[in-house]
Amino acid sequence: MTRPISLLYFLPLLLLLLLSLYYHVLADSHFEGFEAEEEDDVVEETIDPNAFKLPDLPLTLSESPPISTPTPDPKEPDPKPTKPSPPPSTTNFEFWDEDEFEGLPSHQPHIESVVITESATPDATVQTPDPKPTTVSKKKQSYLVEIVCVSFLIMFVINYFTGKRENENLALSWAAKFATKDSIFEKNFSLLGVGEGDDSPLLLKEGQNVFKFYASGRRYCQGLLATMELKSRHDLLSRIYNMVVPCKDEISIEVYMNDDAMDHVVFALARKKMAKAMQKELRDLQRFAGSVVQPPNGRKWVAEELAVVSESKEVAGDLISEAVLEQVFGEKSFEKYGKGFISMHVSDQLPGTQKKMLLFKFALPDANNMADMTRLVALVPYYIDLVGRYKLSSQARSKTEAARAKAAQEAYKELQGARQEALQKKKAERKKMLEEAEAKLSAEAIRKKEEKERARQMKKAMPKVKMTRGH
Amino acid sequence: MSSHNNNSTSANDPRQPSAAKPFVAPMVSPQDLPVDYSGFIAVILGVAGVMFRYKLCSWLALIFCAQSLSNMRNMENDLKQISMASMFAIMGLVTNYLGPARPGSQS
Repeated sequence: MTRPISLLYFLPLLLLLLLSLYYHVLADSHFEGFEAEEEDDVVEETIDPNAFKLPDLPLTLSESPPISTPTPDPKEPDPKPTKPSPPPSTTNFEFWDEDEFEGLPSHQPHIESVVITESATPDATVQTPDPKPTTVSKKKQSYLVEIVCVSFLIMFVINYFTGKRENENLALSWAAKFATKDSIFEKNFSLLGVGEGDDSPLLLKEGQNVFKFYASGRRYCQGLLATMELKSRHDLLSRIYNMVVPCKDEISIEVYMNDDAMDHVVFALARKKMAKAMQKELRDLQRFAGSVVQPPNGRKWVAEELAVVSESKEVAGDLISEAVLEQVFGEKSFEKYGKGFISMHVSDQLPGTQKKMLLFKFALPDANNMADMTRLVALVPYYIDLVGRYKLSSQARSKTEAARAKAAQEAYKELQGARQEALQKKKAERKKMLEEAEAKLSAEAIRKKEEKERARQMKKAMPKVKMTRGH
Repeated sequence: MSSHNNNSTSANDPRQPSAAKPFVAPMVSPQDLPVDYSGFIAVILGVAGVMFRYKLCSWLALIFCAQSLSNMRNMENDLKQISMASMFAIMGLVTNYLGPARPGSQS
């Protein structure tokens, strides 16, 4: 996709470039022309009273340089007023030697300077120092851009390396806490790391702010993939942007369950706002899980900030066990340990090839406080076992099976509809092609016919002419 | 939590080395990659800098080039756009500073 796009960019860009270059050349020549014309005008005016040879001068550019010896002169009036301003104004009247400046357009600058000097000397002094400061400030301004940009670039490069190291440290501290020897993942999975063999790298770096950790070899599940999406600390621009719109370091853990190890379970747990959003956006929740489950009476339930979305009350009640409430999701423990919890999603009906998955999303703490999320990470193996062992009651199962059958039927219908649509499209296309070919053929046939007719008429006409000639 | 987990399943180790599957990186088609906005902006600013001889545009293009470079994920695909953008930016700067002086700034 990007290749054609870049190619597409390229052509118009080249065109634009050529155009711009052409434009510049034109502009430059214009400027040159301007100057030349001005000079010519000057010459014109000066010679005007003397001679009528004028028209020759402006036409030939090559002649202007020798005549343009007075060209330095028109510039002199500019510096001149600056020079005479400090000395008394009396010199001002004297220094204009009419003979010396014969070839000058002596109208405007002279008059101005004279007027200024005549009217008031302070005025002249006020006016004359003006040009110098403006040029100085212009220079300063022009350097300001460069200074700012270069320093920003340098800061960008420095920040790139420091931010990169910061991100790496964070990811490594997570891996060191949860994936090294005698850690949670090591105790639960037989294969850790993205490579093969014992000393395979634990983390896979993707870009500068995405790290992946893979584990496999556990009952009930095929594997686990943890993706850490850290802040773009390496990127100064997005760092500045994040000052305005703050974001968190997140880790999302996907557990690919075995097909035979997971019953019909659709369940999600998140903070209230998030849960509602998930219920609206995620297709499986939308279809199978009706709405937010009300907390049951006479039982401990999750903390108030949290909301449960589930297919049935039974599933919700079974998946939120006493142990979980006590450890993380209960009123008291959530305040303490649940800070980093974002969402949790268990489903056997996810779109895509892998349907049965557990998805966890946590916020990462600082590199130094990695222990804060120990309990959250411990949720993962706990839920793998809980869901893997879980069996629905026969009553609930019949309901869920009906729902799934219905969904499957709908999906099948949709698929068929899509297939039919595709077929129809193909048919229509073929028809169009045929018609076009026919039209082409017919057009050609008509043309041939016309040609023949013309030829025949010509034939008819020719001999007649000959005949008349012959007579 | 882990202790609880261990207590309930201490009899058998949850690990199953026989079921371990090595990691297979999921194939991501280039369409699914996030759009490289900074590269795009860099190209536009670079061209604007060259066309209008506007220094600030070229400098900003250079900065966005740097951003795009630092966010690059797969080498071959992005490198083309970035190299193009940086070419434009540098060309703009060169024509700006080393090119013929503008008639306005003679004095």
